[in-house]
Amino acid sequence: MSSTAILGAWIAVFLTFGIFSYLYKDNPFYKMAEHLFVGVSAGYWASIFFWTQIQPGLFGRLWPASEFSADSFWYKIYNGFSFFLPTVFPEGGIDKGHDMHLIYLIPFALGMMMLLSLIPKISWFARWGIAYTVGMAAGLRAYGFLNSNVIGQIKGTAANFADPNLPFWSLTSPSIFNSIVILVGTITGLLYFYFSKEHKGMLGKISKVGIYFLMISFGASFGFAVMGRISLLIGRFVDLIKYSGSQFHHATIWILVIMLIILGYDAYRNRGKNTPVSEDAVQ
Amino acid sequence: MKGLTELILKIGKVDRRWIFVVLAIVVFIPILVPIGMPIRATVTTKVVYDAIENLPPNSNVLVSIEYSPSTKPENHPMTISILRHLFKNNHKVFVTCLWPDGQFMAQDALKQVAEEEFGKVYGEDYVFLGFRPGGEAVVKGIVSNIRIVYTVDVYQTKIDEIPLMDGINNFKDFAFLFTCSAGYPGTVEWVQYAADPTGVPMSSGVTSIQVNEVMPYVQSGQMKGLLAGMPGAAEYEALLGQKGSATSGMDAQSIAHLVIVLFIILGNAAFFIERKRSRKY
Repeated sequence: MSSTAILGAWIAVFLTFGIFSYLYKDNPFYKMAEHLFVGVSAGYWASIFFWTQIQPGLFGRLWPASEFSADSFWYKIYNGFSFFLPTVFPEGGIDKGHDMHLIYLIPFALGMMMLLSLIPKISWFARWGIAYTVGMAAGLRAYGFLNSNVIGQIKGTAANFADPNLPFWSLTSPSIFNSIVILVGTITGLLYFYFSKEHKGMLGKISKVGIYFLMISFGASFGFAVMGRISLLIGRFVDLIKYSGSQFHHATIWILVIMLIILGYDAYRNRGKNTPVSEDAVQ
Repeated sequence: MKGLTELILKIGKVDRRWIFVVLAIVVFIPILVPIGMPIRATVTTKVVYDAIENLPPNSNVLVSIEYSPSTKPENHPMTISILRHLFKNNHKVFVTCLWPDGQFMAQDALKQVAEEEFGKVYGEDYVFLGFRPGGEAVVKGIVSNIRIVYTVDVYQTKIDEIPLMDGINNFKDFAFLFTCSAGYPGTVEWVQYAADPTGVPMSSGVTSIQVNEVMPYVQSGQMKGLLAGMPGAAEYEALLGQKGSATSGMDAQSIAHLVIVLFIILGNAAFFIERKRSRKY
């Protein structure tokens, strides 16, 4: 077992117990793990996005190696960048299989505008980049939702009741019964969210049926959420058991004992004092 | 009867941290001492298995990885099993990622299955294209022209120099898509921007929390089956006849569910008893 793997195991165990310790109460171990997670995630994502998209996809299209010419003004600018940041702008242009596309100056400018939000006086420039992103995302998603979630769902669940091959009763395959349930659930669920008329009389009764459908849906969601969280807990426990082995120098046992002693000593020192348990921890 | 009522009320008022301890114990013990509860494949899992089993030999299959280490216990066994199934049937596998962390999950799975278990040759039997940021924009890019989105693979080799990429220009060049997803961007985006517009069949493996969101696509026929969380992964392992980490976690999963149901019943019983008493006095 390499020393890097052993060190990694000790860090993983410490961070796991640090996060779990929040279930007891807010404490420095938890804070350390939380801050480390946020910082490392931000740094990791920034680095990955830069090296998978901005450097090859943007700079690689603005200054591709295939069209490099040391005499051109455009590549003289590049050489200036290359002098300061040779890793990002390697000598002779960026070789990622792209041709030159100067239209990419527009996303480059919009990206720079978004960064200007850090300078209060000209932070309004960021709105241009955000406006483009929001507009593009809205356009893209409108099509996808309309096509798949509206038309696709109606097409997929609508049933021909006159079809002699369609059975009346089946829970796991298309049937008249399933189609009726979907029809009733959709209409009553939608009517529950119809607020232009007071939910009294017939509308009140129908929307109540809608509530039952929604409750069943929320119940299923809750059940699946519990299942997911237990799966993640199992995953952590499997790793903790693995790291308690002699090849990892019993990392789990050592860190658990040390952490329990420190938290226990802290609780002993503060006995009698009314140290409130974090409300979140017991939710 | 009075004693039982008092006990239920006492349990209803117990510090929640004791419930965490009980839950930790009931999850921990079955992992150490497996019971071996039976696992039977549900219809949705069986449909995924059949869809891959019925693919013509040497089909081009796109596998997209959209999860991070945080959901590894649920998603990773699915990826491992699907790759095993695809390589066992000699299909050509192309791996993409919509999540940055997915790249390392995919790397780990490919190393284990493609290299160590099946000895597949990179560039001839499988290609690892890696991560591209952009979510649905990347999916749309793959659908229209994959060569614009991916000019190099994850190892910075030019796509044109990889033999397996010959003839692969857009999404319609794939016979099947399997996406292993833990959220956005993931399964929903693949259905909306790839499978529905092109008609290329797809299946997916998702975290438990996503099942309710994705299941309507299965019911309407927009997706071919679904691996639902850790149980879905365990069922697929059972169908393949190769037990893995999902199977070994199912004992703990089942017992933990029973304990949670018990706590819910006791909690509700305590709530109703208390409400009845407060009305009485």
